[in-house]
Amino acid sequence: MKKSVKTIFDPEAGRSFYEGRGAFMKAALEAVAERFALDGAAFYEYDEKNGLLRLNLRHAAGVTFENEESLRPAPGSAAARAIETLEPAAGKTPAGSALYSPFRFDYCDPAGGRGVIPCFGLFRLERSLRKRAFTKAEALKADAFLRSFLRDYYKAEFFSLNRKYEKNVAAITELTEVFATALRVRDSFKHILSGIQTYFGFDRVRLYLIDEGNRKLKGELSADIRGQIKSIAYEEIPLEPGAHRFADIVLGRSSGAFMERYKDCVLYMPLAVQGVTIGLLIVDNLLSQQRIEPQELAMLKSFGGQIALAVDNARLFDKVEELSLYDELTKLPLRRYFNQRFQEEFYRAERFKQPLAVVWADIDFFKEVNDTYGHQIGDKVLREAGRVILSNLRKIDFPCRYGGDEIIILLPQATGEEARRLAQRLSSELSELRIPVPFSKTRELRVTLSIGVSTFPQDASTMDALLEKADDALYWVKSHGRGNIALYSEVADQKKTEAAGGKNVNS
Amino acid sequence: MHIWLLSDYDHRKHLAFKSLLGRFSAAYPDVKADFSVKSRRSLWESLFAHLRDPKRNPLADVIELPQNWTELFSRLGMLSDLMPNLEALSQRRYPEFIFKELLRHDEARAYSAPWWLEAPALFCRPQALKGAVEDPARELASWDGFRAALDRVKPPSRRGNFRALAVPGSAGCVSVSDVLPRVWGRRGGLFSDDFNRATFNREETAGGVEDWLELAVSGKIELFSADRFENGPQPAEDCAFMISSRKLPGAGRAGLKMLPYPGYPSGGGLMLVYNLAVSSASQEHGAAAAFVAWLMEPRNAGYFAESFGVFPCLKPVFEERLKEEREAEAYRRLFSAPELMPNIMVYPTAELLLERALWNLSLKIARHDYEREDLMRELIMAQGEADYLLSLY
Repeated sequence: MKKSVKTIFDPEAGRSFYEGRGAFMKAALEAVAERFALDGAAFYEYDEKNGLLRLNLRHAAGVTFENEESLRPAPGSAAARAIETLEPAAGKTPAGSALYSPFRFDYCDPAGGRGVIPCFGLFRLERSLRKRAFTKAEALKADAFLRSFLRDYYKAEFFSLNRKYEKNVAAITELTEVFATALRVRDSFKHILSGIQTYFGFDRVRLYLIDEGNRKLKGELSADIRGQIKSIAYEEIPLEPGAHRFADIVLGRSSGAFMERYKDCVLYMPLAVQGVTIGLLIVDNLLSQQRIEPQELAMLKSFGGQIALAVDNARLFDKVEELSLYDELTKLPLRRYFNQRFQEEFYRAERFKQPLAVVWADIDFFKEVNDTYGHQIGDKVLREAGRVILSNLRKIDFPCRYGGDEIIILLPQATGEEARRLAQRLSSELSELRIPVPFSKTRELRVTLSIGVSTFPQDASTMDALLEKADDALYWVKSHGRGNIALYSEVADQKKTEAAGGKNVNS
Repeated sequence: MHIWLLSDYDHRKHLAFKSLLGRFSAAYPDVKADFSVKSRRSLWESLFAHLRDPKRNPLADVIELPQNWTELFSRLGMLSDLMPNLEALSQRRYPEFIFKELLRHDEARAYSAPWWLEAPALFCRPQALKGAVEDPARELASWDGFRAALDRVKPPSRRGNFRALAVPGSAGCVSVSDVLPRVWGRRGGLFSDDFNRATFNREETAGGVEDWLELAVSGKIELFSADRFENGPQPAEDCAFMISSRKLPGAGRAGLKMLPYPGYPSGGGLMLVYNLAVSSASQEHGAAAAFVAWLMEPRNAGYFAESFGVFPCLKPVFEERLKEEREAEAYRRLFSAPELMPNIMVYPTAELLLERALWNLSLKIARHDYEREDLMRELIMAQGEADYLLSLY
């Protein structure tokens, strides 16, 4: 649809239909070309610093098109005069005549900045040799027409900037809410990153957190321009000067030259709570190479404290949750967590008719270890057992410290034989460990495991029964010399044989 | 249906498209179609603006884009697969060198359809070379030969506005499209062959950029030309050489002879290919794909390309045009070993990085405070950024 000045801006009605500078200037070129019988019209922005005119938009032969061309007006030419005096100037070209109509206005930054946003440029109106050159009266009329147009443009642009400012205020309110609710949602970090992406729309946002214990900066999450969030847990950066630029930034050692180079399209924001840096938030427009607007940077920086607090709170919340669900010593989930997962896995096994194995392990003579060598050594044994178990399981397996030295492992989609193989691996790896005991004669301690295994649906059809059968198998091992593995099905057969043998003897 | 057409320094392209659209509207009056002409930068900004806020920044239904932007914007989910809708694609009616790059990552999907291509070449006016060049084909085959000839060419006494070399497609400054043919000629590129690292400051690449910058430093090409602002592009008869990727209108009348781009002694060279894509967000996907198919019909593709001196990508029309071409021999050499810019995700951004470096250098040259260290510093910086990008994407 062809738009005229009137349809784009209606100052009397106080409404604007502003669709950006491009649409407005396009309408201006088309209107002026039609009204003054032009063969061509162009809109240039003037780059004062370099003295260049940048062609932005051109209209000729009924088509308006954007273009990119940076040229310098010849000294003393009509264009140079127009720029210098801010008055229209006419000149001759090999193709006919040209009229230059300059404009310049500044408006205040509605985002509250102290500076002004300059708008300086030039319209070039062209007539071919077939037509008469611009008369002085025509030149003044055309210039006045364009100036009235630019006044409308100024208002429209101002309204547009004002709308942008209002949008920013709304974003501040909503983002504050996002950060405040981060603690209550399940995926807090995701929630924070989504919030930032929704309101700013950067090419990428990345969150790194400091792992103080290991002196590392660890990747957490990355959100891309499409809002897709993925884990970057594979990224680990040693927190040492010179190890990586992110480490340098967190340690406050990055070079000014580096920051200067990236300042337009990257923001590195160390997150600090009460003066202690807890991580690094990086937002960038590196792929698009588009400038992050200064007001966006300022706004994001002003949120720095809140983001840091939200991240820290979320992390503390996770820590508290972890403490309530995981055993500090073995790093294995606790019984409370196990009960919930056991139910889920059991339902899944029932529904999809898949096997589910339960491995019940007990550290042999653990009480004696504690009594003889003390609880410190006992804790060390448990820690090692936890480490061996965690390093040998599949992702879908679920171990648990059931109580004392008893450990249960759920093995979804595993048969009794597969469970036995895992149990053998655990047993052999643990038995090969030498736990140093400095004050004993042997100077080291070796431990073994007794393990009982039951499987669904072969051995039991309910959760309680499945646990009971694993416990039966474990008891069998313990009462038959310890340090071994037994499947409930084998134990049941054995028991039957023994019972039959007893009957025979009795008979 | 709305179409975004890439702007061109040659206005005939926009007019040809307008005329084509008129024909389409006459043939299919039910389909309302209009178009806007976007500069490369503005197209780039519009595509990213859509990603940031799709509601406020809708995409056009059909988008013209450089072929090597396809991978990036398809990976960002903005383009739809045209293979099922376009017979020319499913039946592979394009030259193999174009197809190979388009389907670099997935043989079964094509997120844009090649539309037209151009090949940078050297045009010379033998009349203006008298006393400077004896055998143009031989002496101008190498860059050094071309460069020496530029120094030897003298302006005819009666012409005050004579320039040894004109570049009609120039944007005023030195740009990526100016330097890349020379970079390619030196066997350089922006990335290593395995695309694992950027190679901006490799000798071949930096040397190619430097060769072109030297033309500006020595005044053989004028940056930000005031004359161009006042009088438009240099007429062919006012220069001895022109570097252009277009068939020049009236080249025969002006006595212009076409030669391959200097520095490709064995022939071949860099081709620039432009494609059409249908946006994945289009509400009129069927109509948009049908419009692209209509544009690809031999008659329409041929008319459009011919109107502004380029070649259609559609193989039968491309071959036919090549056969009819006055400078068929030169073009056959150009197309003997054609090379395209890689269609990989970070390439368009790498070009922007180089573009920024070249802009900074152009300003320095224009201010007469350019030194070779400036080039190396800019290229090292750009390379660092490109490497960083590679690590991210």
